[in-house]
Amino acid sequence: MGGVPRSTIAPGDRTSAGVNPYRPWPARITSIIDLTPQEKLFELRLIDEGARAAFDFDSGQFVELSIFGVGEAPISISSAPSKQGFIELCVRNAGDVTGALHRKQCGDVVGLRGPFGRGFPFEEMKGHDVLLVAGGLGIAPLKSLINHIHDDRHDFGNVTILYGARSPAEILFRYQFDGWKHRDDFDLILTVDHPDDTWEGDVGLVTRLFDKIEVDPANAFGAICGPPVMYKYVIAEMRKKDMDVDRIYVSFERRMKCGVGKCGHCGVGHQYTCIDGPVFNYWEAMNLQEAI
Amino acid sequence: MFFRMIEKERLPDLIRGLSTEFEVVGPVAKGDKFVFAPIDDPADMRLDYDTTILPPKKWFFPPEETMMRFRVADNEVVDDEVYAPPRVLFGLHPCDINSLQLMDNVFFGAYIDPYYRARRENTLIVGLSCVPSETCFCNAWGTDEAHWGFDIFLSDVGDEYFASIRSVSGAELVDRHVKTREITDNDTRRFQERTAAFKAAFENHVDTSQLPLLIDAKFESPIWDQLGEKCLACGACSMVCPTCYCYDVHDELEPDQTMGRRVRTWDSCQFKDFAAVAHGQNFRDSRASRIKYRYYHKQWGYLSKFERVLCVGCGRCSRACKAGINPVKVIEALQTGVVS
Amino acid sequence: MAPRVVVLSLASDFGCQVQITNTEDHLLTILGLIELSYWQLASSGHMPDEYDVAIVEGAVTTDEHAHLLRDVRGKAAVVIAIGACATIGGIPALAGSGSLADRYATVYGDGVIVPAVRRAPAPVDSVIHVDYHVPGCPIDQSEFLRVLSRVLLGLVDHTPDMTMCGSCKIAENVCFFDSGVGCLGLVTRAGCGAKCPSLGRPCTGCRGIAPDANVVSALEVFERAGGGADALRSALDVYNTASEVHV
Repeated sequence: MGGVPRSTIAPGDRTSAGVNPYRPWPARITSIIDLTPQEKLFELRLIDEGARAAFDFDSGQFVELSIFGVGEAPISISSAPSKQGFIELCVRNAGDVTGALHRKQCGDVVGLRGPFGRGFPFEEMKGHDVLLVAGGLGIAPLKSLINHIHDDRHDFGNVTILYGARSPAEILFRYQFDGWKHRDDFDLILTVDHPDDTWEGDVGLVTRLFDKIEVDPANAFGAICGPPVMYKYVIAEMRKKDMDVDRIYVSFERRMKCGVGKCGHCGVGHQYTCIDGPVFNYWEAMNLQEAI
Repeated sequence: MFFRMIEKERLPDLIRGLSTEFEVVGPVAKGDKFVFAPIDDPADMRLDYDTTILPPKKWFFPPEETMMRFRVADNEVVDDEVYAPPRVLFGLHPCDINSLQLMDNVFFGAYIDPYYRARRENTLIVGLSCVPSETCFCNAWGTDEAHWGFDIFLSDVGDEYFASIRSVSGAELVDRHVKTREITDNDTRRFQERTAAFKAAFENHVDTSQLPLLIDAKFESPIWDQLGEKCLACGACSMVCPTCYCYDVHDELEPDQTMGRRVRTWDSCQFKDFAAVAHGQNFRDSRASRIKYRYYHKQWGYLSKFERVLCVGCGRCSRACKAGINPVKVIEALQTGVVS
Repeated sequence: MAPRVVVLSLASDFGCQVQITNTEDHLLTILGLIELSYWQLASSGHMPDEYDVAIVEGAVTTDEHAHLLRDVRGKAAVVIAIGACATIGGIPALAGSGSLADRYATVYGDGVIVPAVRRAPAPVDSVIHVDYHVPGCPIDQSEFLRVLSRVLLGLVDHTPDMTMCGSCKIAENVCFFDSGVGCLGLVTRAGCGAKCPSLGRPCTGCRGIAPDANVVSALEVFERAGGGADALRSALDVYNTASEVHV
C-alpha cells in the first residue's frame, strides 16, 4: 500500500490547513513607553510582510505573545484596527512572560500569534451611543475600541468613558486622556481610589460616576473591562439606567495557553474565553456559570 | 462497509502482516493490568483485556510532546515538524474508538492541531468487541457501539471474528494479510446474538435523564462540596480519561541556554493552579469548584458545542480514583441529591 | 556578568551536591554560565564575602546554621534550597520527633547532655526566605538544571504543587492501593515523574507533602486500602517529620 494510510473518521470533519496555529510570527518591538512603574506600552511590527498584511483584527481581540525560553501570555490589543502595520500592547509586569517582555529593548524580537477571539461588535455599535467603563488595566482592550471610535467618530452618537484607577499615578494613557478633558466629542470622567495632592478629578469607585451621566437606554451600547470583582456592580448601574442586557458587552480575562480553544484553561461556564470570548454580551455572560 | 469472517487462529497472520508495514500497538499485560504498547510478537497481544491504564489518546496526543524547537537569540522557531510513524492501534474497544472522535472535534475544527492531526492521519484503527466490566457504563451514552472511526472492527462470535471493514486501507490490509470468507446469514445472526448478550451484561445502568439541564440547575447543590471534600485533587481522573484533552505548555532550555523546546504536557482542571491568572486571581480555588467544573464541562460545556457528552463510559476514572469518585456516582448524586 | 554562586551544606550527607557533579555532560556547560565562587564539597577555601546566588543543601540543626543562613540571606539575591533536608527537613528531622534529649539518650546513652546550640532539625525556610526549591532525596539532576535555568532567566519558582498520582498514571504504573499497599504518592509533591513507583516501590514522600494534597481524604484511603492510618503516619515519618501537616 503506497503513501500515507488514512483512518476513516466521520465524514465532513476535516479541513486542510498547512499552517501551525501554535507557531509564533517574529515581531519587532518598535517603541516602548513607560506608562506607570508596572505597565509599559509596547508597539510591535510583524517582520514578515505577508503576515503583517494578513493581520486584521477587531477591538477586544487578543494575541499570544511569545518569548522563547520563557513562554507565552495572552495580551489584548490596545491599538485600534484603523492603525495599520503596528499593534500596541499595554502590558503589566505580572508574571514570567510579561516580566521578560518588560526587560526587552526597542528593536528586540518577540513572537506573536493571533489575533484570537471575539472582539466588540464595532459595526453593530455604529449609529449608537457608547458607554465605556474601565477599571485599572481593563482600559487596555477598551483603549482599542475608544481609538477605533475616535477614528470613525462621525458614525457614533454620544461617547462616554468612565475610567477608574487606584491612584493618579496608575492611570494608564494619561498623556492622551489629559488632552481629552476638554473635548466635547468624548465625555471622559476619571476617578481614583487614592487621590494625591495634585488630583482634581473624582474620587471613589467607578460606579459612583453613574450619577453624573445621562444614558439613553434605547440607543446605548455598553462596554466593560476591569478586575473580576467590578463587573456585577457596573452592570447593575447600567441595568438601573435600563440598558439592554444584550447591548452591554463585557471582556473577560482568564488563564490561557493555546488561544485556539484546545488547552482548556480559559473555560468559563460552558464556553471558552479564547474562542467564544473574551468579549461576551451580558445576556451570554449571565448564562455562563461563575462568569460574573 | 463490508464484512468478512476471520478464523480466530488466523488472527496472528493479520497482526504479523500489519507489522511488516506499520508499528503495531495493542493491549499487553502490565502486572495484573493492561496497557497499550508496541507489539513484537502477536502472542503478547492480550485480546481478553478489560481496559488499559491509559487510553489510546497517548498515541495521538502524548503526555509530553515537543511542539517546536527554538533559538533564543532571535526568538526564532528552528523546527516544528511532527514525527508520526505509520501505526496501527489494534484491539480498541468501542468506547475508545468513540473517544477519538470526541477528541477530533477539539483538535480539528477552526484551528487544526498539526501534531494530533499528523498522528491521526498516520494511524489505522482495528477495533475489537468487548465484555462489560464492573466499571463500564458506555451503555449510558450509546458509546457501546462504534459506527465510525475504525478501519476494521472485529466482533468475537466464538471461534471466528465477524469483521466489519470501514476503509479502503482496512480492506486492502485484510485482503493482503489474512485468509477470510464471505459472511452468511448465520454469521449475521451470531453477530446479533453476541450483541444482545453484550448489551445484557452491563451491571451499571445510569439514569442520564435531562443531565445537561440538571447540572446547570444544581450548580449550587451541596453535593459538590461533599465531593470536593473527598476529591484528592490528584488529577488521575483526567490523565486516564480518553476524552480529557486539556494541556499545559512550557519552554525548556538546553543547558547552554541558547536553544530550547516548547513542550506541551497533559494538564488537569483538578489541579489548583489550572484557572489561576498571573496576578493571583484563581477562578477555581476550591476542590469543590474544580470537580464541579469537570462534570459541568463534560456533561454540558462540550455538549453545547458538539452535541455529545464528553464521556464514553470506559470506567477508567472509576478505577483510578482512590477517593471512590466516579461518573456513575456523581450522576446518581445529581439525580437523587445524595452522594453515596 | 555571570552570577557568582556558592554551594554550601548544613546537616546532610552531601548527596545532593554529588548529584550536581553527576550532571556530568551538562556540568561544564552550566559552569560556563555562572561563576562558581565556592563549593563546599570541592573547595578548600572559605566562603567569599560577596555572591549572588546561594545553593543550600541540608537541614538546620544548630544555632550556627541559623546564623550562617541569616548571613547568606543578607548577601545573596537568590537562595535555592536543594534536597529533602533543606526543603522539608528530610531524614535529619527524624531527630526532632519527640524530645531532642530522648534522641540523644537513645543514640549516645544516658547522661549525655544535648549541647545548647542544638535545635530540632528544620528546613531552610524555617529560618530565612527561600526563593527556589529543588525537592527530592536526592535531587533530580534535570530538575536542578531547570531550576537553575529559571534563576538565570529571572523567572519565578515553579515547583509543582500537585500530588504524584497524575504523573504515576502517565507512567502507567499499577496502583499500589489496588493491592492494599499504601503509597505516599497520594499526598506527595509531584515533579519526579513517579520515579519510585515506576521502579516498583511505593512513594516514600521525599519531595514533601504537596500543598494541594487532601490529607484528610488520603487518610481515609489509607484506612480503606493502604494498611491503615498508622501506615500513613509511619511512612510520613521518614522524610516529613518537620512538616506542619499533621495526620
